[in-house]
Amino acid sequence: MTIPLNDPTAAAAPHPDAVQADPMQADGLRLDGLHKELGGRTIVDDLSLHVAAGELVCLLGPSGCGKTTTLRMIAGFLEPDRGAVVVSGRDVTHLPPERRPSAMVFQNYALWPHMTVAKNVAFPLKLAKRPRSEVNERVDRVLQLVNLLHHKDSRPGRISGGEQQRTALARALVQEPAVLLLDEPLSNLDAKLRVRVREDIREIQQRLGITTVMVTHDQDEAMAMSDRVAVMNDGRIEQVSAPRELYSNPRTEFVASFVGSVNKVPGRLTPSTLSADDGLTSAVRPESVRLDADGGRPARVTRVTPHGHFTEVRVSLDEGVDLVSYVTGAAPEVDDRVGVELGEVWYFREGERVE
Amino acid sequence: MASPPLLLVAAFTGFPIVLAVAYSLGHTGGLNQTTALIAQHQHITDEWWGTLGAYREVLTNPRFRRDLGVTVMVTVVSTSIVLVLALIIALYLRLTGGWAAKLLTVLAIVPQFIPVVIASWSVLMFYAPDGFLRSVFAQAGLEGPTFGYTVSGVVIAQVWCSLPFAVLMCASGVQAVPDALIDAARDAGAGLVRTTFSVILPMAFVPIVIAATFTGIGIIGSFTVPYFTGPNAPTMLGVDMANYFTAYNMPQQSIVMAVVVFGAASLIALAYIWANFRSSKEAGA
Repeated sequence: MTIPLNDPTAAAAPHPDAVQADPMQADGLRLDGLHKELGGRTIVDDLSLHVAAGELVCLLGPSGCGKTTTLRMIAGFLEPDRGAVVVSGRDVTHLPPERRPSAMVFQNYALWPHMTVAKNVAFPLKLAKRPRSEVNERVDRVLQLVNLLHHKDSRPGRISGGEQQRTALARALVQEPAVLLLDEPLSNLDAKLRVRVREDIREIQQRLGITTVMVTHDQDEAMAMSDRVAVMNDGRIEQVSAPRELYSNPRTEFVASFVGSVNKVPGRLTPSTLSADDGLTSAVRPESVRLDADGGRPARVTRVTPHGHFTEVRVSLDEGVDLVSYVTGAAPEVDDRVGVELGEVWYFREGERVE
Repeated sequence: MASPPLLLVAAFTGFPIVLAVAYSLGHTGGLNQTTALIAQHQHITDEWWGTLGAYREVLTNPRFRRDLGVTVMVTVVSTSIVLVLALIIALYLRLTGGWAAKLLTVLAIVPQFIPVVIASWSVLMFYAPDGFLRSVFAQAGLEGPTFGYTVSGVVIAQVWCSLPFAVLMCASGVQAVPDALIDAARDAGAGLVRTTFSVILPMAFVPIVIAATFTGIGIIGSFTVPYFTGPNAPTMLGVDMANYFTAYNMPQQSIVMAVVVFGAASLIALAYIWANFRSSKEAGA
């Protein structure tokens, strides 16, 4: 598959709905029952995922959940014990990384320090034995795309972290891969730059329509960049959903607490009552806990933490339950009496959503 | 302002060098007087700057020329073999990392713990005309090769003695190449051979040059190995220097040879300085 890097009309950004409409199409990337054990421990457990052509899917999860192992199996650095990796309908499970149609952007960028920016980017093309004129042209075009043409002859040690990041991206894009793999691509950038670079990456990815899998432990990043997010825990995918859906409709207790924050209360918490219910956990987002001076359930404010654009207020209901609420605008003081009204409450049993 | 270490080097190394060079130029007075008193076949100068008589004599001596050739040849061949072996072991360890690779690395370092004089003797005994190798061959009714008292024997012993340091240097240099850079090369489409030559070896360039220069300088000035394992003639200049100094009582000629060896070693040292300069430039310093 070739992607014309400089022709936005030929590779228009796919419509997100269109991407999800037909997830079983042959294009893109399919993981079928991937299983990997390392040192006697199961790292990835029977994992299946379909990434449609042109879609960006994030693997999101805490450290040690198996997301990087999954990515390395897609890239070919690890061979799965069971299962298959299928790219554009072709089974690549047993191919070494150099023969796979995927390109990876590494966490520390992994630029070769003895080569200039242009040589780093040209290396994959030279390996593919492309004619010199084509190499030069494609390198220039991709460096222009990531806005790095002026650093063409610099060595990686002399450019900033953000520029190194873009060089690594250019080196992956120049291969016109069928699948682009991003391993925590933003984790080494400072907060401001991170927001800008993630917008850049997303924009380029959509413009070129490259099937992309990204690994991150940063939920903001995952939410902001992805068409869909696959939340991983303990080697399994807990839920694959569009970012909004993931937040507003979590299917497991893990997803509810990993993506955003949540108040968890043992028993059945309803907008007006709290009753014992063995094994049931109630969960409510802080923004669904509304404080009202006039009505609702009586409570006392126990802690107030300002966060700038909102204030985190901890209240203690008179039934003896502590809840966190996010308040925008004027916040109450500690020891104030307030009324609490609850919005949507989710119920989980053994980690699974029951209502 | 000269720092104390610099003064120490100047007093205990620099000054004797100046004295020796002056003696080689025919200045037999002053602090060189005692040596000159008993030395034979000296070239003594009348000019204020000295005479090149001793140099002319040594440099036109066919025996010296032949031994210089042997010295350079043994140095180049042994250093090349050592480097190739060290890199093979280092790369094997880096790319497979199994127990066999680790065992090989440990074995390669063992000679470091055996004194050179013992090692040389062992190599000689192993390859001597009546040595182990030929005895084993003879048991099978075969004629084994003889390397004892040959230049080949010298090369074998030099490789044996120099390998540990080169393996340590190369292995640490190659190990220091981060996994991600190797993965990135493979991801870009490079097989193992291409990854080795385009990424691993260039990145380990400085340690490899250090290993090569130190090995080369060690071999070019060696005495024990060629003295034990080599033939009487041709031999390496280290042995010649000792012979001229003690056996023939011709210290002036011996010093001339030392100056020549020192010059050759300086050329090797230039490669070392260049490599370090290049690496600091690369790092953006």
